[in-house]
Amino acid sequence: MNDILISAKNVGKKFSKSLKRSMFYGVTDVMMNAVGIECKSENLRAGEFWAVDDVSFELKKGETLGIIGPNGSGKSTFLKMLNGIYMPDKGRIEMQGRVGALIEVGAGFHPMLSGRENIYINGTILGMTKREIDEKFDEIVEFADIGDFIDSPVKYYSSGMYVRLGLSIAININPEILLIDEVLSVGDLSFQNKSLRKLAALRDNAHAVVFVSHNLRHVSDLCDRVIILNAGRQEFTGDPKTAIIKYEKLSRKISLHAAHKNNSDGIDLRISSGEEIEYVDCGLLDVSGRKTSRVSIDEPLIQFCDFILNNDVAGLYFSISIYDQHKRPCLWSVSSDMEDCKFDDFKKGKYRIIVRYESHCLMPGIYLPSIAIRNNSTGETYERILLKDSIEIVGEMPSRGIVNTEKEWSLIEL
Amino acid sequence: MKECDQMDEINHKTTIYEPNKYLKRGIKIWKDMFLELMESRELVWRLFVRNLSAKYRQSILGYVWFLLMPFIAIGTFMYLNRVGIVNIDTVDIPYPLFALIGLTIWQLFSTGIVSGTNSIVSAGSMVVKINFPRESLVFSSMAQGLFEFMVKSVLIVIFFFIFKVVPSPWGLLFPVAVLPIIILTVGLSLILSLVNGVLRDTANAVSLLTTFLMFLTPVLYPISATKSIYLKLNPLIPLVNTPRDLLVYGSIKEPVEFCVATIISVVVLLCAWRIFHLVETKIPERL
Repeated sequence: MNDILISAKNVGKKFSKSLKRSMFYGVTDVMMNAVGIECKSENLRAGEFWAVDDVSFELKKGETLGIIGPNGSGKSTFLKMLNGIYMPDKGRIEMQGRVGALIEVGAGFHPMLSGRENIYINGTILGMTKREIDEKFDEIVEFADIGDFIDSPVKYYSSGMYVRLGLSIAININPEILLIDEVLSVGDLSFQNKSLRKLAALRDNAHAVVFVSHNLRHVSDLCDRVIILNAGRQEFTGDPKTAIIKYEKLSRKISLHAAHKNNSDGIDLRISSGEEIEYVDCGLLDVSGRKTSRVSIDEPLIQFCDFILNNDVAGLYFSISIYDQHKRPCLWSVSSDMEDCKFDDFKKGKYRIIVRYESHCLMPGIYLPSIAIRNNSTGETYERILLKDSIEIVGEMPSRGIVNTEKEWSLIEL
Repeated sequence: MKECDQMDEINHKTTIYEPNKYLKRGIKIWKDMFLELMESRELVWRLFVRNLSAKYRQSILGYVWFLLMPFIAIGTFMYLNRVGIVNIDTVDIPYPLFALIGLTIWQLFSTGIVSGTNSIVSAGSMVVKINFPRESLVFSSMAQGLFEFMVKSVLIVIFFFIFKVVPSPWGLLFPVAVLPIIILTVGLSLILSLVNGVLRDTANAVSLLTTFLMFLTPVLYPISATKSIYLKLNPLIPLVNTPRDLLVYGSIKEPVEFCVATIISVVVLLCAWRIFHLVETKIPERL
């Protein structure tokens, strides 16, 4: 099958966490290989872990594969294996054609030498012959858009120019297989668009592209298939839309996990006068009235707060809100705003205040509930709490923006 | 390993990555290694030009710097000899000429091995980011040594004129006679650059040892390998003596030792290159 450009079978790569061990294993491996003994590389030794474990896929001509995953999930390691920098410790990668890598472009530039000299050196390192570079030279310079600076030492380049030149060389070697790691986020918008255009052209010429990015919009725009890596494992392979929804779920799970790990009382911020009101609990209720931390996008959102009133109070008002992870208020309801909900003449005792949103319009994501209880006539704040105990809105939907409502598209020619 | 696959209408290179892939290829690897070097000769050349043109770019004296070192060393020994601290056996050609030829040959080895050992680590950021034949780094650092050698050879010619000494016509074989020491240098550099990738102690040890070795080698004063059994163990003695003898006297004083040392050098290179090829894939992850 000649139109399969990349085939990876059960590929794995292990690393060691400690430098000392890594040096020791390095020396033993080198010695064993040097005398011709095979290393049993598919077994883990003490202190080692699989940075990439059991990843398989095939990529045909003209296809673009996206790899997404949380930080440290093995994306870059995997890309380095495709690029031949790391050898897999197990499995097998087979590739047809010249491989070009946009991984940390500009590596190998010599700061003292001019842009012109560096184009020739870098081009040769990346596998071009002098004639090919001569032919491409003008195109490279034009694409990089560095103008007169071409004959200045690259150490006088701005960081943008530096990366643009590197990217321009790498992209102009016309590889059959292009590996891209996060580099499309360099440069200004016009350079980004130029790169995207070039990439689309490359893809149309029956090249295969492997694309690692955190930019989910680029991934969904460019890729035909997407792999989700999590802790080195291939969690999902499939169409970009499903992958992105799954990935967002995964990253919510991770940030929820992180949030739960580092809180003790679950309270992020608390301002309390202490005497009048004793805070008991606050959070979400499901439709049957039990406390919950997860609500689906199509369920009603019911927020509550339990408190104990130590004295009789003439009137209270409540301000109940939901913040997103960036601490931006998304929903904010104040009881005194409503004519028909006055909570007057409180007697001493325990209360639960509830606010119910029949359709809340929030996007899937992680949110923080917050509540404030104030005196109606004096405006005194008795209790103000922002919880660290996050709540999760779950749903199968790519989360762009803050709210989601019913919508209808139309295009009108004017 | 790159293989040409004619099946497609375009000439596709098939690249395979898997654990221990180089081990499986057995004896054929020698040919592949040589072909790979031929394929990357342009890269070796570019890397050499890059290092050379970058090295002295921000300096006034530029290339004069590497000519200064032999002059200072020769001057020091002439002074030490004159005041009698070091007693150099009388050599039958002017001492500066003797020392310059010795140093020129020696520095092929010493600068070659020091920069060769460092070549992979100092290009570390490139090695972990770009896939290219790593031996080209070692070979290009040797090319640097060769370039300096050629400039100093011009200096030797000038010295022959200054001291009015007529070199032997056999001296035309001088470039051939230094080949074994170049081969030995490349061989050792290939191994040491790898070890240095894992253990950084190597570079320090190498530069210390070469300084020490120079005094056990007939660079600045004559030593004959035939004199002592211990000196026979140092292959560098005939490798330095023979080219100089050829150039000055037109005769080889230690033919057997020279042949043995040449064979050792070739064996070292072939083994080292093979080992380099086997383990170079383990280096990026340890850098």
